[in-house]
Amino acid sequence: MLGIRRISTSRWWHRKKNWLFFAIFLFLVFVRISKGAFYKDFYYFISKPFWPGQFQKEIVLESIAQEYLIKLNLLKKDNIRLRQILSLQESFNDEHISAAVISRKTGSWWRQIILNKGSKDGVEIGNIVIGPGGLLGRVKNTSLFTSSVTLITSPDSKLGVWVDRIQINGLLVGLGDDYPSLILYSKDADIKVGDFVSSSPASTLLPPNIPIGIIQSIDETLTSKKTAKISLLAKPYVIDWVQILKVGI
Amino acid sequence: MGANFESRYLMNKFFTKKLSLISFIFIPIIFLWHPNWLGFLGVQPYWPLFWLLPWSMINGSINGLLLGLFLGLILDSLTVNESFTQIPGLIFCGFLFGRIKLHSDILLGHFRYGLICSFGSFLCGTIYFLQILFRNFSDSNSLMLIPSVKNILAEVFLTGFFAPFICSQLLRMFKFSKRKIQ
Repeated sequence: MLGIRRISTSRWWHRKKNWLFFAIFLFLVFVRISKGAFYKDFYYFISKPFWPGQFQKEIVLESIAQEYLIKLNLLKKDNIRLRQILSLQESFNDEHISAAVISRKTGSWWRQIILNKGSKDGVEIGNIVIGPGGLLGRVKNTSLFTSSVTLITSPDSKLGVWVDRIQINGLLVGLGDDYPSLILYSKDADIKVGDFVSSSPASTLLPPNIPIGIIQSIDETLTSKKTAKISLLAKPYVIDWVQILKVGI
Repeated sequence: MGANFESRYLMNKFFTKKLSLISFIFIPIIFLWHPNWLGFLGVQPYWPLFWLLPWSMINGSINGLLLGLFLGLILDSLTVNESFTQIPGLIFCGFLFGRIKLHSDILLGHFRYGLICSFGSFLCGTIYFLQILFRNFSDSNSLMLIPSVKNILAEVFLTGFFAPFICSQLLRMFKFSKRKIQ
């Protein structure tokens, strides 16, 4: 007896529809195993045009900058008002001159920079020079087109400074290297590494509250005084543009 | 044509004759330029010695002393440290360099320039440091010692390193210039 082969098209695997369901089932299994990663990635691409994009970020940043500027102006006004009430020395005003560094000697003994603005532009001897970060030095002499600035790292430089945390005045002395030394004439001064140093309100050379640096290390070997090395906030060996503050103290 | 040739001849003669003067002008410029890429620990070689050594060796002690004074005056005018001066160091070096005779061995001469300039740089650096110490006698003597020694040693090393290259070239130029005059 010959085996009768059943000729039929009604088997389930002959139906495309079933294979389609199977494919969908496999896809769903994949989705399940991958914990929806595919969906999420797909969503990432289709939702991309609707994200809160760069434009919105810029608006937010601009708003924050404006907010800070307004706050800063209010604080400045408050500061000036309070200083007038207390008859304290005036903080520096907005009169400043931008200048480029055309010569820089930041190594060895001679620590100075030469700027491309001179007496022709209104720069005067004794003006304060600041860069990104804080104080750089003072104008020592001027020519018609240039001005020479003694950096605070120069052995020639001695300035009165203020350690804000412990409210004490000190003397900042340049030593001819990148780290000037803070001398406190009190053995009991509780200075710590990381303390912030700014220009002293009592200084006759500088306006108060100009950031200078941070205490890097403390030397307590001397008997009568305490000294500390200061890491400057403004780095004179890389700064190309500075601002000259016209202050009359 | 003839006039053109004559003017070019005169110009060449002038430049050859004034070679030492022209190179002298470059010392303050390079001193101000302060190329950081040539530095070591932020310190530069002591540039004026590179010029002063060949000049003094050729022209003698008195000329060396005078030019040391001139160099010191110019360099002091370029630095803002009014309390300290480079003049004593440069005068002393100029005088000392003038006593040194030219050496017949070229290779030995090259190394000799390095050693002499290192010594000169040490001398100038030490004199400058002593002035700073004297000025700040009460305040911060001990604090200045380590950075100052570092500055002096770095300067001595760099000056000695570059001197054989620069001094021998300048010496050759000055000799050539002097021969043309005679």
